[in-house]
Amino acid sequence: MNSVNQEHIRNFCIIAHIDHGKSTLADRILQLTNTVDEREMREQVLDSMDLERERGITIKAQAVRVLYTAYDGQQYQLNLIDTPGHVDFSYEVSRSLAACEGALLVVDASQGIEAQTLANTYLALEADLELIPVLNKIDLPAAEPELHARAIAELVGEDPASVLKISAKTGVGIEEVLESIVTFVPPPTGDAEAPTRALIFDSVYDQYRGVVVFVRVVDGALDGKVNLRAMQTGLTFDAEELGVMTPEMVPTGSLKTGESGYIVTGLKDLGELRVGDTLTLSSNQAEEALPGYREVKPMVFCGLFPVDGDDYPALRDALEKLSLNDASLVWEPETSQALGFGFRCGFLGLLHMDIVRERLEREYDLDLLATTPNVQYQVTTTRGDMKPVTSPGDLPAPTEIEFIEEPYVRCTILVPKDYVGAVMGLCQDRRGVYVGMEAIEQRQQISYDLPLAEVVLDFFDQLKSRTRGYASLDYELAGFRESPLVKLDVLLAGEPVDALSMIVHRELAYARGKHLVERLRETIPRQMFEVPIQAAIGGKIIARETVKAKRKDVLAKCYGGDVSRKRKLLERQKEGKKKRMKHVGSVEVPQEAFLAVLEFGDDGNSDK
Amino acid sequence: MTGVRHLYAHLPFCSSRCGYCAFVVETGGLDRRDAYLDAVIAELDAQEQKLGELDTVYLGGGTPSLMRARRIGRLLESIHPGLAADAEVSMEINPETVDHAALRAFRAAGVTRASIGVQSFQPHLLAALDRGASAEQARAAVECAQDAGFESVSIDLLFGVPGQTPADLEADIAVVRELSPEHVSWYELEIKPGTALERIGTLPPDEDASAEAYRRVVDVLEDAGYRWYETANFARPGFECRHSLGYWHAHDYLGIGVGAVSTVEGRRWRNASGVDAYVAAAGQPSQTNEDLDEDLRRRERWMLALRLEEPIDIARLGEPDHPENFDLLRTHGLLDDEPLALSREGRFVQNSVLHRLMEYA
Ligand SMILES: Nc1nc2c(ncn2[C@@H]2O[C@H](COP(=O)(O)OP(=O)(O)O)[C@@H](O)[C@H]2O)c(=O)[nH]1
Ligand SMILES: C[S@@+](CC[C@H](N)C(=O)[O-])C[C@H]1O[C@@H](n2cnc3c(N)ncnc32)[C@H](O)[C@@H]1O
Ligand code: SF4
Repeated sequence: MNSVNQEHIRNFCIIAHIDHGKSTLADRILQLTNTVDEREMREQVLDSMDLERERGITIKAQAVRVLYTAYDGQQYQLNLIDTPGHVDFSYEVSRSLAACEGALLVVDASQGIEAQTLANTYLALEADLELIPVLNKIDLPAAEPELHARAIAELVGEDPASVLKISAKTGVGIEEVLESIVTFVPPPTGDAEAPTRALIFDSVYDQYRGVVVFVRVVDGALDGKVNLRAMQTGLTFDAEELGVMTPEMVPTGSLKTGESGYIVTGLKDLGELRVGDTLTLSSNQAEEALPGYREVKPMVFCGLFPVDGDDYPALRDALEKLSLNDASLVWEPETSQALGFGFRCGFLGLLHMDIVRERLEREYDLDLLATTPNVQYQVTTTRGDMKPVTSPGDLPAPTEIEFIEEPYVRCTILVPKDYVGAVMGLCQDRRGVYVGMEAIEQRQQISYDLPLAEVVLDFFDQLKSRTRGYASLDYELAGFRESPLVKLDVLLAGEPVDALSMIVHRELAYARGKHLVERLRETIPRQMFEVPIQAAIGGKIIARETVKAKRKDVLAKCYGGDVSRKRKLLERQKEGKKKRMKHVGSVEVPQEAFLAVLEFGDDGNSDK
Repeated sequence: MTGVRHLYAHLPFCSSRCGYCAFVVETGGLDRRDAYLDAVIAELDAQEQKLGELDTVYLGGGTPSLMRARRIGRLLESIHPGLAADAEVSMEINPETVDHAALRAFRAAGVTRASIGVQSFQPHLLAALDRGASAEQARAAVECAQDAGFESVSIDLLFGVPGQTPADLEADIAVVRELSPEHVSWYELEIKPGTALERIGTLPPDEDASAEAYRRVVDVLEDAGYRWYETANFARPGFECRHSLGYWHAHDYLGIGVGAVSTVEGRRWRNASGVDAYVAAAGQPSQTNEDLDEDLRRRERWMLALRLEEPIDIARLGEPDHPENFDLLRTHGLLDDEPLALSREGRFVQNSVLHRLMEYA
């Protein structure tokens, strides 16, 4: 695919709230520029994983190059850089943005601005991108283009008349979008003569080719099978192949200043090359790395245990395979008295956790139990050292703790005005600290600082249910704060169950404990003996419930002709139990019980 | 070896199928009784070499009492080498099929133990079960049987019948106490797949109600001097059903007739159902086989043994899979020592106990 000169390159991305039509628009652009002919046109070519397609989320950004002959008769090279659409991946979004000069800000004309619209807009403005506001889905009867155009224009500081009104579905307005890109997005400004600097904005693992990174060449050029150096990690490797995605991989042998493309590295471990790092030539090194590199740290942790202990090696294999493609997934072996052998896993966020779990269950056919998600606490001990704690079991004894800090996030919630009270109530319940409020269109943007630990429970579900699904949420890390936290233990039949412990705020502990034992009583079936369920803090019982003993459990009559059948019935009972139940000490606990700790519902906090 | 000492014969004819019944039953076709009996005797002859002197015979059905005493006599006479002097010969009897004379005739033909399928003495429950007998017929049959000289009379009853109130249960209990048979089998009604009860969507009673009914039955019968010797069976001491005990002790048994199951020396087989095919096969019915290895046998022995009141004989049963759980059972009062046996409470939850001791993989 022919190169053009730097003046004719446009690097851009599409930012949108989920479902506002980013993928559909991307497809249209590919179609219009004949990159993908009609016959080949799969839906949403940019989303490569089935699971993502089903969920409608794009995890991995990729870059696609198209050639477009504009109304001015000139041919332009447009590099469309796809960005992930969810808050868990906001760092990856920011790196994608850093590879662009402009962004299409796509908003659903029937929905208007949502939380991620705002979050991404702010990110794009920070990255100094030229924003092209686009209202999509104008074909919908419920579309209100004029109304929303005013709001978007205000958000990006432009004239409402300049907001493009399109339908990615019917194709209306797509050419105008391309023309706007050519006209308004500036060409890349890198220095062709300077030592090469290329920003890694994404990486994937390919079974046959190893790690493939997506880069934006900022200065200089990449030519042939050069030896490259990652400036942050110091790793060096040979570029095995350079090329661009069209969206098929097309080797080009070189990438020039301002261009985006891929490098096949031959490396086997995705973790070795980090998104955000800068590549330079080993033979002619740049002095300074490009700014903005950050190590991505997992924010949410949970234990994953195979329901059937025999599946432990299979779970390990599956995690290894997933990690190949997902450098942000971290895990290490963990042993639970209650659940046996498993792994403590770290995720970027809740969605990431759900996706990983679902892939493990679906693609690797594993039945898993997940423990309550945790955040990473910072515990300062009386001896003065600081210890990160991601599992309640690792919390030192109370006497050894000087203080505990927990991560906070700044949450931005956008809701219709009627629901402001409900949202504030929820945030208040979850230990939120009010930050501010602002009207945006017909809605309110409410900002709260919340402990991440509260957000990772069922906050999002609660938010949706209390606002009838109207609220949208975005959050970013906002540092650590000291909190009076305690470890809440659960005892079944007198035995502590490590997998049910959690770290909670002292003032919420009583209500949480009470709610938890109630939920457990409802979930744990009667057994052949009475099972007391207790919640305790530091050995002191704060709540108690009892699962009554079974009064009768016999197999009805059994005569000679019936023995095999009865034995098979026992086998089926056993099989059913094995699937659903975990032996925790002497108690048979159904898997749902471990989920019970996740749901606090409406009353989990308020009935103090 | 001395050979198999327990014989079961399946006599499938019934006048109609009751709403809860999932047994191998042939409704109507009484004109084929002789042909059927010929086939049963042919099968008996074919299997003769497996038999020792019989300790027990059980004539089950279907409705064996529809076979009339003449045929029952012929069947019993066809057994070789024959019955032990004190052999127990049980027969299932439907109340509406017998009178005084008939019962005496069965006794004379060699039946020693009459097992009468009463199910309930309450008219509305008999109706709910589609039973052929009325409450009066049920009571009369028991009284006549008690009069006919059997060594033992047993009655079958059900709890958990749709519509059965605690008062209905008490009423049946009162009649049982009054009639005072040597033996009572009191089963919980099972809603079996393919039965009329299932088709009309009958739901089992709730867990607590059924537990209360069961415990009430056990309490009352124990109080009345019966031994609760098996999950659903009660007997005055010495009147336990020896044939059933044979099953529960995992003895070998030979079963003949349609749908009958045999277990002999680690092999279990089941005759095909269908009277016509059985008759045509003239003693060589088609069968499905199941090989039982020692491990399966051990699991079955435990499954059966925990149904019984008698002590747990580990030497006979073999080690349980989880002997470590004995302590847990003791702690919760479900197991007694010296001799090792399920406690009374343990017997009410024997299925849970079994799963704690054994793996059914
Ligand atoms: N009616 C209409 N539907 C659209 C339009 N663009 C996208 N959609 C639909 O909106 C949904 C979400 O679109 P998608 O491109 O997957 O959104 P993304 O999550 O932002 O990538 C899909 O069902 C699309 O078919 C449009 O212009 N008009
Ligand atoms: C082989 S059956 C039938 C005997 C005889 N034909 C009769 O109906 O009385 C023996 C006993 O099993 C019991 N039984 C039959 N079906 C049952 C069911 N679905 N649930 C519980 N017990 C049942 C009844 O008490 C019945 O008397
Ligand atoms: S009489 Fe007995 S065997 Fe015959 S259908 Fe009724 S319950 Fe079944």
